[in-house]
Amino acid sequence: MSEVTGGTTEERMAEWQKRREKILQMGGDKAIEKRHAKGQMSARERIEYFFDPGTFTEIGMWVEHRTTAFGLDKMEIPAEGIVTGFGKVNGRYVVAGAEDYTAMMGTFGEYHGKKLSCALDFAKDKGWPFVTLNDSAGARLHEGMDTLETYGWTFHSQIAASGIIPQISLLMGPCLGGQAYHPVMMDFVIQTRKTGFMGIAGPAFVKTQTGEEISLEELSGWKCHAVRSGQTHIVAEDDKDCLDKCKELLSFFPSNNKEQPPRIECKDDPEREIPELDTVIPDQPTKPYNMYPVIKKVVDNGHFVEIFKDYAKSAICGFARMNGRPVGLVSNQPMIKAGILDINACDKLARFIRFCDLFNIPLVSLTDCPAYMIGSEQDWGGILRHGAKLLYSWADASVPLVAVIMRKSYAGAHYGMLDKSIGADFVFAWPTARVTIVGADTAASVIFAREIRESENPGETAARRIKEFSELYETPYHAARRGYIDDIIAPRDTRKLINRALDALDLKWQRAFSARPWRKYSNINL
Amino acid sequence: MQEIIEAPIPGKVLSVDVTVGNTVEEGAIVCTIEAMKMENPILSPVKGSVTEVTVSAGTAVKTGEKLAVIEY
Repeated sequence: MSEVTGGTTEERMAEWQKRREKILQMGGDKAIEKRHAKGQMSARERIEYFFDPGTFTEIGMWVEHRTTAFGLDKMEIPAEGIVTGFGKVNGRYVVAGAEDYTAMMGTFGEYHGKKLSCALDFAKDKGWPFVTLNDSAGARLHEGMDTLETYGWTFHSQIAASGIIPQISLLMGPCLGGQAYHPVMMDFVIQTRKTGFMGIAGPAFVKTQTGEEISLEELSGWKCHAVRSGQTHIVAEDDKDCLDKCKELLSFFPSNNKEQPPRIECKDDPEREIPELDTVIPDQPTKPYNMYPVIKKVVDNGHFVEIFKDYAKSAICGFARMNGRPVGLVSNQPMIKAGILDINACDKLARFIRFCDLFNIPLVSLTDCPAYMIGSEQDWGGILRHGAKLLYSWADASVPLVAVIMRKSYAGAHYGMLDKSIGADFVFAWPTARVTIVGADTAASVIFAREIRESENPGETAARRIKEFSELYETPYHAARRGYIDDIIAPRDTRKLINRALDALDLKWQRAFSARPWRKYSNINL
Repeated sequence: MQEIIEAPIPGKVLSVDVTVGNTVEEGAIVCTIEAMKMENPILSPVKGSVTEVTVSAGTAVKTGEKLAVIEY
């Protein structure tokens, strides 16, 4: 653009207007139409949809690249390919950066990245959540080291802000290489089903470097991350759904780590009895049941926003409200892989628990878990260190911690799903609970092995000894006798007791964290 | 398109609920595996027809082992 200087006030106003209009047009109507044809919105349309009407203030729309190499001196990149600013989302301030695919394919260059880092630093400074609307073809290689080093500053900014403000990434386009790194390091990633991608390298590069032939969809689409890699927390149907889901997530979070999560009015009786829970546990301990209906009945208005729904499905985690208070809920799914904690389930729950702890969100566990998974696949895969993550997460947590043991709570899973010794404030158990160091048949095969082997009727001896162990220990009473369980409750009273516990723990945040001896952080297994 | 139903954990097949030629709804039980002291129902993630059944009651299976194939 030519530098027009001088002129009357009217001329200067007109020039400004002209230039401003040009930037607002982004890559032009044709380019925007192409996005629409794919079912996608433009960057500015997304910002318009996301923020409360008229509340968005844009910062840095006039920033331009300064590299002139490889034709960049002739390239116009409106707003440097990223729209940054702040506005209100459901009445609360949020900072956002929306990558503009129509502006040199939303590539990340020096000033694009500086805008992003500055926006992040700004959000951290103000104590406002940060959301990226990702839609980019990748790094702007033309700028060489200016691009590479700026990525580092961006990563540093977001890590410096991590745990201070909630950070959410919305994957609404191809985001490969560096453009996949800053999303994945945020607290939550919401990926659109057909148009959102994330990968360390794209198919072309993978083919030339390793010879592997694979499609973009298979390498980096929603299934890859929501199902296999556990890097996408929520899958959205399209741009609007993605933005809606982001707003819903934000409604559970405080704006920053010094605030409490926003409590709303609760129209669902906090002491509501749930008679169906009295009969949900099957007679036989080998029979599974579906945990989802239990969760839906316990929380306010049946509203549960699941995180990592398609990943590590033997465990369940997500956000809900209890008596208007946002809570993080963790549980097991007996219908899938016996509800065990395997490597992925441990990672999933640990990451979720730590986010809740960072942002003062109370944690509630509904437990029915027979064990950490055993066998060579898990042992060689490091179930020990992955399982340890769960224990670290609970013990490090200083938010209210409430557990309700519904059925099994055996061995390591007892701490993995939150018990008193690892840090729970309250532990309740149903009469159907089996809180024991090991199941009866496992115990029999160890402590009575010799007796059974040497008996005249091993089958009968085994059965007798298993029954004996089961009657003594596969109940809640032994644990309750010692005070390891606060009360054995009627299942129908689960919601009531959790809410009463949370009432009692309302002010825990004032003391719990500052009462600790100083250290940088625990050496959680990674 | 084919959906290959695999064992999610190692265990023993307790029962097989489908035979080749059956049509199944999404969420229908294909077979049940006993593992970690529990009965684990293995559900079909798709609606389709069963074209292959590779296990029977009593078969020991490893993680990832093929149990059945659903054509959809």
